Amino acid sequence: MSDDAQSADSLAEQGTDDELIRRWKSGEQRAATLLVERHAGSVARFVTSLGVQHDVEDVVQDTFVRAFGSIDGFRGESQLRTWLFTIARRLVLDARRSERRRGEQVEVQDSDARTDFDPLDVMVADESERRMHGAVARLTPTQRQVFSLRVGEGMSYKEIADAVGTTEGAARVHYHNAMRAIKELLDD
Amino acid sequence: MTDCSDGAVRDLLPDLVHDRLEPDVRRRVDAHVLGCSDCQQEVELLVALRKSLRRGPVMDVGAIASAIPAYRASRRSWGGWRAAAAVVLLAVGGTSVAVLQRERDTGRDSAISTVVPVVRGAAPMAQATPAPLPLAIDEPSRELVIGNPAIDELDDRELSTLLAGLETIEALPSPDEDRPADLQVRAPAGTD
Repeated sequence: MSDDAQSADSLAEQGTDDELIRRWKSGEQRAATLLVERHAGSVARFVTSLGVQHDVEDVVQDTFVRAFGSIDGFRGESQLRTWLFTIARRLVLDARRSERRRGEQVEVQDSDARTDFDPLDVMVADESERRMHGAVARLTPTQRQVFSLRVGEGMSYKEIADAVGTTEGAARVHYHNAMRAIKELLDD
Repeated sequence: MTDCSDGAVRDLLPDLVHDRLEPDVRRRVDAHVLGCSDCQQEVELLVALRKSLRRGPVMDVGAIASAIPAYRASRRSWGGWRAAAAVVLLAVGGTSVAVLQRERDTGRDSAISTVVPVVRGAAPMAQATPAPLPLAIDEPSRELVIGNPAIDELDDRELSTLLAGLETIEALPSPDEDRPADLQVRAPAGTD
């Protein structure tokens, strides 16, 4: 049985996100733990794709605390995961604005792209995988975010647009530009 | 590595890798990929990239979950609406009481006093003393009255004809009834 099939079975046993939210609201704290277990990895990867190098877990924790604190504002129009990404992105941008006000140099725009950033370098042992990581790390921040969500998380362009704060069309263009850039980098 | 020319299929390859395609679309994409070496290579690359991208920092789920407080129903928005409704009710009620009180105090005069400003510009009431009106329209006012460039281009004779035509229009108020005879649009000098 594949990992995907196993996780699908596990999700079916635990219940959907909406069911777990209902259970948490009715007082079952373990439902919150299951939701964290289900989405913390995705949120952490997304936060990493935003260029956060340190305190990733703090950002993830803040994201969940904010999300659960305003869960009544979650209308279910998007997936819970997309909503978590939106909150995480806002937290990261707010932190960067604060850092900017303090005069620290941070990555915010495409023009500020740090092409040498790869927090996962130390974790990647395989040479071909290291090259892939290197290629992804050389994308612009927006391309990297979109590509990570499309390929790493399997999100639709609509979900990506909601999470990243852009349009579906722009997300599609960013994905294809990123794919072309990665192919060229790997062919070199 | 080259790109397949079928952009629509290439667009769906990440969904194929994540098994997110509807069955009929999946069959169509599968059939294309089987016969397309470019797409086969791209799918292989996407599978490898997906595996690579899904590596990430390991999160302490217990620590994160322990920071989440127990659910407490949000009352802020409902309380806000109630406060807003209370303010509106107080404002409307207070205004109504003030108006009623004022009408009671002033009687019919209040009704007249509230009507007079609305009909400002109508003929003055018989008992009212009319304010003195200017005897003639001064030069800037005249510019306002006949400031239309098309009119400015008319010569004196055409203007006289136009003014004579205006006199015959019945819809215009008669100058003799409502205003002093001196309050006429002054014709340009030299037309008499």
